[in-house]
Amino acid sequence: MQELLDFIKKHHFVILFILLEVISLLLLARSQNFQKQRVISTTNDVVGKFSEWGSEIGNYFRLSKANKQLAEENAFLRQQLAVVVDTTSNSYVINERDTIYEYIPAQVVKNSINQANNYIIIDKGRVDGIERDMAVISSEGLVGVVADVSKHYASIISLLHSNSVIGVRFQNNQEIGSLVWETNNYKYGIVKDIPTHVVLQQGDTVLTNSWSYIIPEDLMVGTVEELYLSSKGDLNNAKIKFASDFATLRHVYVIKDLYKSELDSLRMNQN
Amino acid sequence: MNKTILNIIRFVALILFQVFVVNHIRLGGYVHPYVYVIFVMLLPINIPNWQLLLSGFGIGLAVDLFCGTPGLHAGATTFMAFCRPFILDLLSGHQKYENVQSPNLNQLDGIWFVKYTSCMVLVHHLFLFVAESFSFRLFGQVLLRILISAPVSVFLIMMILYIFKSDKKRDSR
Repeated sequence: MQELLDFIKKHHFVILFILLEVISLLLLARSQNFQKQRVISTTNDVVGKFSEWGSEIGNYFRLSKANKQLAEENAFLRQQLAVVVDTTSNSYVINERDTIYEYIPAQVVKNSINQANNYIIIDKGRVDGIERDMAVISSEGLVGVVADVSKHYASIISLLHSNSVIGVRFQNNQEIGSLVWETNNYKYGIVKDIPTHVVLQQGDTVLTNSWSYIIPEDLMVGTVEELYLSSKGDLNNAKIKFASDFATLRHVYVIKDLYKSELDSLRMNQN
Repeated sequence: MNKTILNIIRFVALILFQVFVVNHIRLGGYVHPYVYVIFVMLLPINIPNWQLLLSGFGIGLAVDLFCGTPGLHAGATTFMAFCRPFILDLLSGHQKYENVQSPNLNQLDGIWFVKYTSCMVLVHHLFLFVAESFSFRLFGQVLLRILISAPVSVFLIMMILYIFKSDKKRDSR
């Protein structure tokens, strides 16, 4: 026993170091489990409040840009409304079945773009009807998916996450691929596994496809920037410019699928 | 006692500065400087080893809480604290630091401090960015991030140290 104590005393520096590193890496490993993503500390209401104070200061400096963006979006929505009214001129009643999505507006209180795994915190939580696995968009395009919810805040896995994979479709030719982020530049992502016969032009629109139960179809994701031809000649990759500007993200919308529980129960029955 | 209070103030101030100011520096998405490592750098030279490790772990954990990355910064700062005695020993040429309570710019020259800061930052960033990617899949990217972020961190740290240098002179009088 005495020898053990002497040993610990003699090597306490190394032993304590190993102990602390093991604790750190266990914490880290647990947070890396993508399927059971629980970002407890960031959705913690206290830290959320702190971040909110910080971002409120930042908000003042971005007011003019935010105004401009909202005005543009407003104009776009009015335009769409006009189209709807025109095509259904004989009836102004919109079929109840058509409104399957509810859009919950929210403000970004914390955001990062230069980590390998970026998260966004918004100021709406469980009491506002936010749940896990809801898609989040900005006025420009897809932003991410809700990972965790606390009472008043929610954390979102940004598209800028090393494990993020989004099913996408090219609008021009309906070809599909999967969008990932290679942790370098917050403006660009990569669409993988594009068949070689697919021809892409710079500026082609990229939308979400129908693979996901979480992300609605036909959401704007970005535009094609460059096609990388595979050296092996099998599947090509394409560089995509994200439609959302993640650096200045302020106003976002959480998409609530009103028929999700119905779809879920159907899927459960299948299994 | 006075030193302890100074270190506590430094602890809180550096976390707030890191979280609310430095974390918002965005230069192309590659650069992410970390200046809170100053806390571990400036701890007294003859601090007991276990206190050194726990201090490092503590500030890392506090930063983790704000960044939503449990264990990431804690691991990196603990590693840095572990390496500190070896770095200090290496830089002094295996001699004792006489009359120097903690590393400071008044008693130790600027070149020495740049070397010291570079070593500490490199050790910290190496652990941090490798652990962050949690795999060696994108190792090229990780190296690039380290090589770009580390000089910015060193530059910011040296600036902060020079800004607060004059204050310390007044204290010692």
